[in-house]
Amino acid sequence: MTEQILDTMDIERERGITIKSQAVRVNYEADDGEVYEFNLIDTPGHVDFTYEVSRSLAACEGAVLVVDATQGVEAQTVANAMMAMNANLEIIPLINKIDLPASDPDRAREQIEDGLAIPADDAVLCSAKTGVGVHDLLESVVYNIPAPTGDEDAPLRALIFDSYFDAYRGVVALVRVVDGTVRKGDQIYMMAAQSEALVEEVGARRPTEIALPDLSVGDVGYLVTGLKDGAQVKVGDTITLSSNRASEPLPGYRDVKPMVFTGLFPIEGDQYEPLKEALEKLALNDPALVWEPETSHALGFGFRVGFLGLLHMEVIEERLEREFGLNLLATAPSVEYHVYKTNGEMVSLHSPQEMPDPGEIDHIEEPYLSVKILVPPDYVGAVMDLTTNRRGNFVNMNYLSTTTVEVVWEMPLSEMILDYFDRLKSSTKGYASLDYEMAGYRPSKLVKLDILLAGKPVDALSFIVHSDAAYNRGRILASKLKEIIPRQMFEVPIQAAVGGRVLARTTVKAKRKDVLAKCYGGDISRKRKLLEKQKEGKKRMKAIGSVEVPQEAFMAILKVDD
Amino acid sequence: MPHHPYKALYLHVPFCVKRCGYCDFATRAVGRDSAEIDEYVEHMVMDVRRYAKQGELADIESVYIGGGTPSHIGMARLSSLLYALSVSLDLTREGLEFTMEANPESLDARMVRDVWALGVNRISIGVQSFDDDVLEVLGRAHDASRAQAAIEEAKQRFENVSVDLMCGIPGQSADSFARSVAKAIELGVTHVSVYPLTIEPHTRFYHDVMAGLLDEPDDDVEADHMELAERMLVDAGFSRYEVASYAKPGFESKHNSSYWTGVPYLGIGESATTMTQNGERRMRVMNGEVVDDLDRRQMEAEDLMLGVRMARGVSDERIARAAAHVDGVDEAFLELQHLGYVVHEEGRMKPTKLGWLCGNELYGRLLDLAP
Repeated sequence: MTEQILDTMDIERERGITIKSQAVRVNYEADDGEVYEFNLIDTPGHVDFTYEVSRSLAACEGAVLVVDATQGVEAQTVANAMMAMNANLEIIPLINKIDLPASDPDRAREQIEDGLAIPADDAVLCSAKTGVGVHDLLESVVYNIPAPTGDEDAPLRALIFDSYFDAYRGVVALVRVVDGTVRKGDQIYMMAAQSEALVEEVGARRPTEIALPDLSVGDVGYLVTGLKDGAQVKVGDTITLSSNRASEPLPGYRDVKPMVFTGLFPIEGDQYEPLKEALEKLALNDPALVWEPETSHALGFGFRVGFLGLLHMEVIEERLEREFGLNLLATAPSVEYHVYKTNGEMVSLHSPQEMPDPGEIDHIEEPYLSVKILVPPDYVGAVMDLTTNRRGNFVNMNYLSTTTVEVVWEMPLSEMILDYFDRLKSSTKGYASLDYEMAGYRPSKLVKLDILLAGKPVDALSFIVHSDAAYNRGRILASKLKEIIPRQMFEVPIQAAVGGRVLARTTVKAKRKDVLAKCYGGDISRKRKLLEKQKEGKKRMKAIGSVEVPQEAFMAILKVDD
Repeated sequence: MPHHPYKALYLHVPFCVKRCGYCDFATRAVGRDSAEIDEYVEHMVMDVRRYAKQGELADIESVYIGGGTPSHIGMARLSSLLYALSVSLDLTREGLEFTMEANPESLDARMVRDVWALGVNRISIGVQSFDDDVLEVLGRAHDASRAQAAIEEAKQRFENVSVDLMCGIPGQSADSFARSVAKAIELGVTHVSVYPLTIEPHTRFYHDVMAGLLDEPDDDVEADHMELAERMLVDAGFSRYEVASYAKPGFESKHNSSYWTGVPYLGIGESATTMTQNGERRMRVMNGEVVDDLDRRQMEAEDLMLGVRMARGVSDERIARAAAHVDGVDEAFLELQHLGYVVHEEGRMKPTKLGWLCGNELYGRLLDLAP
């Protein structure tokens, strides 16, 4: 049997995560002798995909809250449990991985009760690996989760909780029917996108797709639209019939907005078009992915790409390189700044390069997050240190149990994306978990820090930083770059500057010795190959002016705490 | 293909008493008594005789037995090989250079006398260092006193004795390296090769560096050592005739120089490379496999690249000949002059010290004329 049967992408299997939701229908013969139809939705858990998770929850009657018996309740567990409660779902707590020696079901139970206020006396103890407790879980679903309600005679209302693009069939929507019925051949109308489509097929997944004559109240299934544009089938939108439209859409739709932006540049100039095509292909399946062309003096033509978060960004970058064979250079991620100019105009900034002249700026606002961190009490101090350093404002703290403290902060998103999660994990021996949501825009004293190589500013290395941190970050980045940029035939001064004022300066010394290996009979062939390889290696570097800069230099800013 | 006559002959002995930590050469640790060595030498002898019968050895001007460790296989086997060579080509020919490599642990007075008597006239000893601590780091099978004794024994018969020294070894101070260079000078050798340690893949050193057990050689330290060696050896009357080779006047290695001057060479034995060429084509073959197949343009570019390894560089005539076949030769040399890697002196383009230190840039630029 294939493991991780619902996580079909290579990247999901390798990382053990879920990126795309999946729906499955199974029939279950319960101990009472009746056959029940279960519609299950497997959702992502990561904070980047919070909106998708909320839509999946909205499509359900109940949720199984899975808590890892070795890890206990994590920040993500809290966030997702809150969402399920807000959606008025019946919650069945399930404690998984009880087969592992390190499992502590009593602690997990205590945390569920104290931290989430969910009664955990009947929590199902389970090992998905050995199968222990699976029967109990299915019986619990039968008895605790209510059957769907809805009006079969009302106009169709079906909630889109995910969609994907199929090269042969166009956009396929995963839906939950709330009212009415949808059949093959129906003309449907997407209420938020205001688009129409002809239903080419409906069906359910078991988990392979089975075409059905219709989907009716309570059914979860797929719907083939034939549409070529993913933006017309948005997660959270309501599908109704063109001929018999519902008066109100289902509640909860919102436009997904990217939070994190990065410049993606092909290393070889001739890959610009292939990169554009690859982004278009991925976007068919991922309407949250947005981009605009960007031109850098240093890196040439590329795209400024917006993502839901850092995981989303990593996944997309990896898929572009892996599935499309592209060789990409990514600049450090940034957020969307709001720059208010003295003339009253507001500019949304996705890239440091777009920063207006300091003289034109009245003030700048940046996005803040409300951040919830769950951590054992011993590590609260470490979290305080790290987060205060990242301009975090402490909001409050409470004990979920004797072993878990919840600390709430407000901090700038721009600080979160500078490797904050990794730092948090390493400063708490991996115990901390984290969840966040947008808390709005706040004014900040921000400046653009420029990096100059051999006296020339390199646009792709500039970043926006709080003015109090500019000196420190500039100094650290300059010394990081000194390590990363290989020695060249001449000295390369590296400077960090704000508005022409140099804050830090270091120098990559000139190279003194190449390999002087022996070069006798057979060595000559080897030497030829070595020199060819050296030429290839240079291709992987970007020549900026006369300086050869390796790709990782553009991500060096992420390592400012090292 | 019809080809120009071979002028240099290389014989490879791929056996050592033990494998050193940095070594990625074609060699393996094989006990001295192993029948494998007998069989191997027998094959070499047959190859030598076969090539002689085909007339391929008639123009040989230099012979080099390298390894591995030729001295490791013992005098009996060396005798049969040297005897085969003596009846296959004219070892007494005026100016013929005949080098044998030896390691201190397996070179004794008897072997010195016998190989000399059988025609070897140059001995190259793998000393690497005269510092016991450094030798231990390298994993060599000898110590400093054995190295000194081997050189003194070699000097009993050989006027032309070369030693190899290494620098940039983890734990080796500039002082330790300087003492090794001084020792070589003091012992009266006529030729010294100086190499910085390089960490090659698939070696013990490579794994140790990757595992953080061993410090990677530092470029600056190696560059300092190379400069130190040059100062000391030049003061002692040596000239640096190639980037890594120093010789007393008249003791430049003829065999090694042939590799850098486009002279065809024949290799016998495992992993020995043969370079065969005529006016239109140059091929290198190793273990029956063609590893390089160059056309006229590539040959010209390669000769320029190899030429600037040597202090005398390449002559204006040589450059003009290359320019007749390859575009951009003059521009490349102008650029290299501008960068300070070569200077034009006495009708020749000669490498500068900077050019040598940054050799890959210099060689790469020339090889790139006809990739």
